[in-house]
Amino acid sequence: MAERPEDLNLPNAVITRIIKEALPDGVNVSKEARRAISQAASVFVLYATSCANNFALKAKRKTLNAGDVLAAMEEMEFERFLEPLREALEVYKKGQKGKKEVSEQKRKDKEKKPDSENEKSREEEEEEEERMEEEPEAENDAEDEEVEN
Amino acid sequence: MAATAATPVTPTEPDPDRCVSEEESRGAEAEEENTQQQTGPAAAVSHSRLSKLPLARIKALMKTDPDVSLASQESVFIIAKATELFVEMIAKDSLVYAQQGKRKTLQRKDLDNAIEAIDEFAFLEGTLD
Repeated sequence: MAERPEDLNLPNAVITRIIKEALPDGVNVSKEARRAISQAASVFVLYATSCANNFALKAKRKTLNAGDVLAAMEEMEFERFLEPLREALEVYKKGQKGKKEVSEQKRKDKEKKPDSENEKSREEEEEEEERMEEEPEAENDAEDEEVEN
Repeated sequence: MAATAATPVTPTEPDPDRCVSEEESRGAEAEEENTQQQTGPAAAVSHSRLSKLPLARIKALMKTDPDVSLASQESVFIIAKATELFVEMIAKDSLVYAQQGKRKTLQRKDLDNAIEAIDEFAFLEGTLD
């Protein structure tokens, strides 16, 4: 299922919500302006990804990481984003940790192996990179919805 | 970057639940957001609430770049978050031009003006329909 950049747009409802929350009450946004902002957002994703990927490649890594993205933001002259992004990342990481602990607890309950330490690091790697290929349940449901509609 | 924060950071998001009723009437795309929040275990959903934009869609966009092989979940999240900040920024910067024209409605030309005038938006030139 090859997806071209032109086919992928960010959900209009979400873009609209972000715009409305950024602007004062009483301000309207024309459909054309909304569509253009949505397009611009997609271009931004592609540009940021490309930029971040260069940093990863320079460091001889195949996996793009958060640090690469932050470096890309600086390169793209969006330094103002760095602080809020770092904060959001911290909260995100905590959430992830909680999630991992839950799934690890389940695994521990299933297989009672003495070598749980090794399992942990292996799992981390698998989960981190696998994500690109294998999507979490919640998101799968959402994507199925889209196809049916 | 890996430093652990002792004090919890207040997320910049307002409660995402309140968007459900507002958006439900707006069609299929909104439904996608809602089901993502309502189905599945709470643990799996909570991390994606930090970002308003669906991570799956962001990831799919990133994958269209042939040079990108793998991306960590964190990087997908950060790009989603950065895109949100970008949308806020461009909306606000464009509003300035609408206000100059004594209008309360943001129009496409306001966006074009902002892109032309602001250095950070130079990458957008020639990319929009």
